[in-house]
This record gives sequence, structure tokens and C-alpha cells, in this order.
Amino acid sequence: MKVKTLMGVFPIIFITAVVFASVGLVTWTDSVTATKIEEQKEQEIQSMLKEMFPSMSEYTFEDDIYTIYSGGTGVGYAFLAVGKGYGGDIDILIGLEDEMTIKGITIISQSETPGLGSRIAESSFASKFAGLNIGDVALKQDGGEIDGITGATISSGAVVDAVRTAAMEKVKSLRERE
Amino acid sequence: MGRFGKELVKGIVISNPLFVLALGFCPALAVSTSVDNALGMSVGVAFVLLGSNLIVSAIRKAVPNIVRIPVFIVIIATFVTVVNLVFHAYVPSLYESLGIYLPLIVVNCIILGRAEAFASKNPVTSSIADALGVSIGFLLALLIISFLRELLGTGSLSLFGVDLFTLPVLGENPMTLFILPPGAFLVMALLLALFRRMGVMKSE
Amino acid sequence: MSELIAIFLSMAIINNFILARFLGLCPFFGVSKKLSSALSMGFAVTLVMLVASVATWIINNYILIPFGVEYMNIIMYILVIASLVQMIELFIKRTNLTLYNALGIYLPLITTNCAVLGITLINAQESYSLLESIVASLGGGVGFLLVLIIMSGIREKLEVADTPRSMRGLPVAMLVGMLLGLTFFGFGGMI
Repeated sequence: MKVKTLMGVFPIIFITAVVFASVGLVTWTDSVTATKIEEQKEQEIQSMLKEMFPSMSEYTFEDDIYTIYSGGTGVGYAFLAVGKGYGGDIDILIGLEDEMTIKGITIISQSETPGLGSRIAESSFASKFAGLNIGDVALKQDGGEIDGITGATISSGAVVDAVRTAAMEKVKSLRERE
Repeated sequence: MGRFGKELVKGIVISNPLFVLALGFCPALAVSTSVDNALGMSVGVAFVLLGSNLIVSAIRKAVPNIVRIPVFIVIIATFVTVVNLVFHAYVPSLYESLGIYLPLIVVNCIILGRAEAFASKNPVTSSIADALGVSIGFLLALLIISFLRELLGTGSLSLFGVDLFTLPVLGENPMTLFILPPGAFLVMALLLALFRRMGVMKSE
Repeated sequence: MSELIAIFLSMAIINNFILARFLGLCPFFGVSKKLSSALSMGFAVTLVMLVASVATWIINNYILIPFGVEYMNIIMYILVIASLVQMIELFIKRTNLTLYNALGIYLPLITTNCAVLGITLINAQESYSLLESIVASLGGGVGFLLVLIIMSGIREKLEVADTPRSMRGLPVAMLVGMLLGLTFFGFGGMI
């Protein structure tokens, strides 16, 4: 009688043991890799900021805005934005020289159509934003200063919209700080 | 060559997962847009396959029949999670490119298929050989597909971030179709038909 | 509201699960020429996608994230899906034996259907709310069903067509997949 019950229960014991073993292995792997993943993220942000602000020596992060310093002087601000592209989210890093001028943008990730919308990631598109007044950030057809990419109006527009909206929002919160 | 070698070769040719068994398409076609991704995915699949075949074979005599499939699934899911985390930490750009297709290895019919059909019935060394063979077969198949897609679809080939070469005419005007999803179907259709014509596989 | 419609259309048509994301290919190529099987399979998969999306959303937002164990997601999702399929299989067996027999081996195979695990992963990746997840899974399922229906019709015609020997079966089905995919791609201008 006792042996029979054990036989019936054994499968459950077995699978529970397997689950425990697997949870253990996975948790251990996570603890080992988690710190590395965090480090990666921080390093990535740092190198992108440095590329945008070559004179950067350090930066601070508060309320979703990076303040960039060179030596002891502030040289600009940066923040992330997400555009709603054709193929999904477009992650953008936006740099400001001051509260009125764009320093530049970097497309961090996008999944637009290869050969068409994906060209927003090319430097020729990003450079169109550099030095622009925030108010001028719009497609030429909408009264702004930016030429959209031929055949990729949606992708171009998504970036333009995201940059303008985020810039205006962040400038507002910067002004509220003062 | 011995038993080990025999199972190895079998996995590459006779039981080639993609072209013969027609298993595991989903992640394969999705990541075949570049050779880099194909290599990365194959490494991931190889690791999971090796791990699961090894463990399943090792515990095959002890596993109660009723919980067989759930146990296999948990084992496979564990290895996939480990690969996912490791890739995220140490090869983040590959992790980003592979996206959801990396965790989708867990439902890749190849892995569960080999566990059920082979590893659960064979000793450990044969199971390892089988895993290696099938992984190499998968890798080769995926390399052919992605090589064609990347070359024709972008006009150039790059490996691990290094530009290998760019074709003269195709470089400026690549056949973008190949890099788009329908292009994967096209390449697969042509390759399958070609292999059948060549007698490597049987037609229907 | 327009956000939800955009999600639905994107999942169903523009980023169709089978034609654009390559998820759920096994049933797509294995689908018979009978419209009824295509319909049964399509509905079954949509149902599982919907229930799985809700179940995994709850697990994600009430267990995984609060306890900081997101890395357990793959294991939890697949176990949930496997259990759901078992339960649905039993349910169909008890209530509609003909349907159960019609689906045959394809029913348990839904567990390994990339579309089901796929939608749960996509929902998590896009951080969809519960409502958005439901809409997304419905969209994905409907798109899947749609392509299955179209494919079964085409398959029927292919049966009597004069296909070259090497192309018969899987290769020509892949070509059809390419053509369908191109067509659906064109709908991109809708949103």
C-alpha cells in the first residue's frame, strides 16, 4: 500500500525536483549576468553622450535629463525619446546645446523598412537636426527645415515629431527647475 | 569513425533539420537576414540542443512516463533562458538583432523533437553526437540561406562588424526583396526545389 | 481608440504573424485543402493566443515584475501555455468530439506553435496594457486565421495544377507564402 502511493507520487516529486533545479540554475545565471547588463547600458549611454558632446568630461542624470559638463561648465543637455515609426518604436537620443538649439540626434534603435525607412539611421539624416532651432524641427512640407527621406515619409516624420515633442517637453521642465 | 561519428554525420545530412525534416523554420527564416545573425542563432540553438540532449539522455531511465513531456519542456526552457541571459550580457548587439527569436528557440520543434525521438532513447555519448550533428546541419542550412539573402538583398557581406566585400552592381542597387520577409520564402522555395532536383532530397 | 486599431491592424495584416514574422509556419504549411480544417485550426490558435496573452500578462505584472524575477518569463510562459493547451484539449474533447477528431494531432502541437509564445513575448516587449495585449492577440490570431483560409483555398487549386516535380508540395507553398507576403506588405500604407 505504501509503496503503491509512493509510485503514484514519484512523478510529481520528480518534476518538482526538476523545476527546482532549473529555477536554481536560472537564478544563478541571472545573478551573474545582471550586473554585466547594467554596466553595458551605462557604458552605451556614456559613449553615445561622448560622441555627441566630444568635450564632455562628466554628466549628471536627473528627472530623465542628462546634464553634460566639460571641465566645470555645463555644455548642454541630453535625453531619450521614442518615436512611433512604421515598424515599431524608434529610440532616439537628443542633445541640446542650450534651451533653444538642438546639438544633434542619434538614432539608437529602429526597425523600419530596410533600404527605405531604415535610412533615418544614416548620418546624412541625423545631421539635418544639428544646430537647428527647436521651433524649426518639422518637415519642410509642414513649414519646418527638415527634408524628409524620399520614400520614407512616415519614418522621417516619426523622428521629427518625437524630437520636437521631447525637446519642447524637456525645455519646459528645465525652465521649471530654475 | 565509430558510433559518435555516425550520429554526427547523420545529423548534418540525413536528418538535416531545415531542409530534410522541415522543422524549426520560424526562427531560422526570421534571422536569416544576415550571416552574423545566422551564426549567432546557430550558436544559441547548438547550446540549447547540446544541453537538453545531454540532460534528457542522462535522466532518461529515471523519468516517469507521464511527466515526460513537461520535464523535457522545463529542461529546454531552462537552457534557453540561460542562453538568453548570457547573450544579453556578453553579446548585446546580437541579442538585440535576434529579438524574440532567441527565446523562441524553446518552441523550436528541432529541440523537443530530438529530445523525444533520440535523446530519451539513447546513451549520453550518442545523444551528444546527435546534438552536434543536428546543430551543424542547422548552421550550414542557415548559412546558405543568410549568405544568399544578405548578398543579394544588401549587395555586400559583413561578418562580426567587418565589411568583407561589396558586389559591384548590386552594391548600389541591391535586390531589397531578399532582405524582406517574402524574400526568405523565395530563397527557401528555390533552395528546396534545387536540392530535390539534385537528388539530395526526395520530391513528393 | 486609434492606438488600439493601429495595434490590431499591425498584428493582423502589416506585420502578419505568418507572412512577416514567420511565426506559426508549421500549421501554415501543413494546412490541408479543406477550408473547415483551416478554420478550426485558426480559431483554436486564436483562442489559445488570447487566453495565453491574458494569463501571461497577469503573471508578468503581478508576479514576475513585482518580485524582480523577469528572467523566469520563458519558463513560466511555456508552462502556462502547455497547461492551457491541455485544458482546452480536454474541454473540446468533452464538448465537441467531431472538432476534437478533426484537429487530431494539431491540437497538442499548438503548444509549440511559435505564434502563441510569440504573442506573449511581443506583449511583454512592447509593455502592452491588458487591453492592448488582448487587442494584439486578437489581431495576431485573426491575421493567422486569415492567411490560413487563403492558403487552403490556394492549396486546393494547386492540387490540380501542373507543378514541376521538384517544386511540388513545400517549395511551391513557400512561393505562395512569398506572394501573399508581398501583397500584405502593400497594406502598410493604411496606417
